[in-house]
Amino acid sequence: MTDQAIIRLAGITREYLMGGERIRALAGIDLEIGRNEYVAIMGPSGSGKSTMMNVLGCLDTPSSGQYWLNGHEVSRMADDDLARIRNREIGFVFQTFNLLPRASALSNVELPLVYAGTGARERRSRAEEALARVGLAERMHHRPNELSGGQRQRVAIARALVNRPSILLADEPTGNLDSATSVEIMRVFGELHAEGQTVVLVTHEPDIAEHAHRVVVLRDGRIDTDRRVEHPVGAASAVA
Amino acid sequence: MPFTEALRLAVATIFASKLRSFFTLLGIIVSVAFLVAVVAVIQGMNAYVRENLTGAIIGTNAFQVRRIPISLGLLSDEEIRELSKRPIVSRADAEAVERALPDAEAVALQSGYPTPVSDVVYGNQSVGGVLIFGVTPPYLTVQDYQIAAGVPITEIDLRGRRPNVVIGWDIADKLFRTPESAIGEKVRIARREFTVIGVVASKGTTLGQSFDGFVLIPLPMFEGIWGRRGTTTVSVKMRTPQELPGAMARAEEAMRLAHRLGPREDNDFTVDKADALVAFWTSLTALLFTVVPAVVCIGIVVGGIVIMNIMLMSVSERTREIGIRKAIGARRSDIRKQFLVETVILSCLGGIQGVLAGWGLAVAVATFTPLPARVSTWSVGIALLLGVASGLIFGVYPAARASRLDPITALRSE
Repeated sequence: MTDQAIIRLAGITREYLMGGERIRALAGIDLEIGRNEYVAIMGPSGSGKSTMMNVLGCLDTPSSGQYWLNGHEVSRMADDDLARIRNREIGFVFQTFNLLPRASALSNVELPLVYAGTGARERRSRAEEALARVGLAERMHHRPNELSGGQRQRVAIARALVNRPSILLADEPTGNLDSATSVEIMRVFGELHAEGQTVVLVTHEPDIAEHAHRVVVLRDGRIDTDRRVEHPVGAASAVA
Repeated sequence: MPFTEALRLAVATIFASKLRSFFTLLGIIVSVAFLVAVVAVIQGMNAYVRENLTGAIIGTNAFQVRRIPISLGLLSDEEIRELSKRPIVSRADAEAVERALPDAEAVALQSGYPTPVSDVVYGNQSVGGVLIFGVTPPYLTVQDYQIAAGVPITEIDLRGRRPNVVIGWDIADKLFRTPESAIGEKVRIARREFTVIGVVASKGTTLGQSFDGFVLIPLPMFEGIWGRRGTTTVSVKMRTPQELPGAMARAEEAMRLAHRLGPREDNDFTVDKADALVAFWTSLTALLFTVVPAVVCIGIVVGGIVIMNIMLMSVSERTREIGIRKAIGARRSDIRKQFLVETVILSCLGGIQGVLAGWGLAVAVATFTPLPARVSTWSVGIALLLGVASGLIFGVYPAARASRLDPITALRSE
């Protein structure tokens, strides 16, 4: 394990009991993701992609194996410690945005800081900063239903970033967006990566995965391929 | 999550659906309002009895020598059987008490319970439901009755068995144009003819009840018609309240001598003052005070279960929200705190609304009925406490359920 590795998985398995039948969603995953990498995890449905996402996001604990996230061994952690890891180390972006419908964009972005115990004033200024970062400074008092799909996903990205996590974990972030908006959101990810953010993207769309610099393909709960992307989409514009 | 944040969130959630919150709380509101209003009415009646009724019935600075104590209603059958063996208080007893109390303002003998009720007929008019008291002349002094017209009953009326009566203000008011015009007129009571010799000035109403609908008949005449009452009572009026204890002791001694009781024998009579009536009333309301909280507790429990159900519903409706919160770092305790605070705030609001409603009800009762009502701070305190407690108790289960939700499943729910 290099000190550059922010995620290190060793022999991770995850088994479920479903209707009395044992299902092996992850069948031994070894993977290292370094700081400031931009990784896409792909695979057909049933490949263990979602389980992988849940384990990486500390929403689920592996049945066996070890998982280090930014130096913490999270595979042995109890519920409340996992909650703290999710709060401090992970920024989630979901396909369905998962914003609180009755709260303003600003309140939604402040939420992780509420659970981190940050004071009200600092909470507000950091949330405003994060919203400005994704280009929504003008709309921070709008509720999710007053925002377009792309804007909602930007709010979700701002929320994911606000606590300065070690990884940004995006699960099909463009799945509910039209292609123009998808390009726009992928550009935001590209920019964040360019600024030094580690980004892990779970997707089943190859053209979205091509924005990443490394693509890991899962099949039947194992890593099938793990390759570098020669010319990531949008990388040039992000650098420029 | 800091407490203030949980509080803010709870208030926002509750006010986001006001009508639903209100209906959730209806049980608590009604129970608390009932508690506050009923306690207010009982307290008001207590104060009223203390201040008005006792003076009106026994007279101020007065006490009674009775065969049966005032608080008869609260005695056991055994005690009542024991009491029924006592001798009737007699004219001789009254004279013995009078001799022992030369400093008394008045010592009267009066017919006791049950007081007969009769029609009073004058010409072709009549008044119904009139209380008929058989009394000796000092009775008017004991009761602080002022003569508005005519003369009071005298010893001569008593000894001469004259069919003379003194009537209460209401009777005079209904049958005659003026009190003066009643004097000397013949009225018929229980098919006998009586001459009105006096009218007693009005004492007004107490608890919406007039105490002026009576006729006073000389005691021997009364006993000739309605028979001797087993509860004939000696009433004594002293000049100051300070004289009462000493006078009551001397009256007791005189009665013991008159009844030839040995030093080891118990009294076969009771010496009671107005306090006894207050005590009787207080023990009656004490009974109410044990029943009312029980009823209210049932209401609160039912109301609490309703709150619990609505909160459980709310948890399942907000499963996704809980999932989101957990995904971005809410611990179990944060979620638990959020729902528990919400339930407690909700039930507190119920308590406050209940207190306001109960207060309004008490004021309405005091305004539109003769019943007095006094809202007491302790009932308001208990009501609010019950509200908070029910929120705490019935909020625990929904909050625990919410906190135990699995974030992955919760996020997947619609």
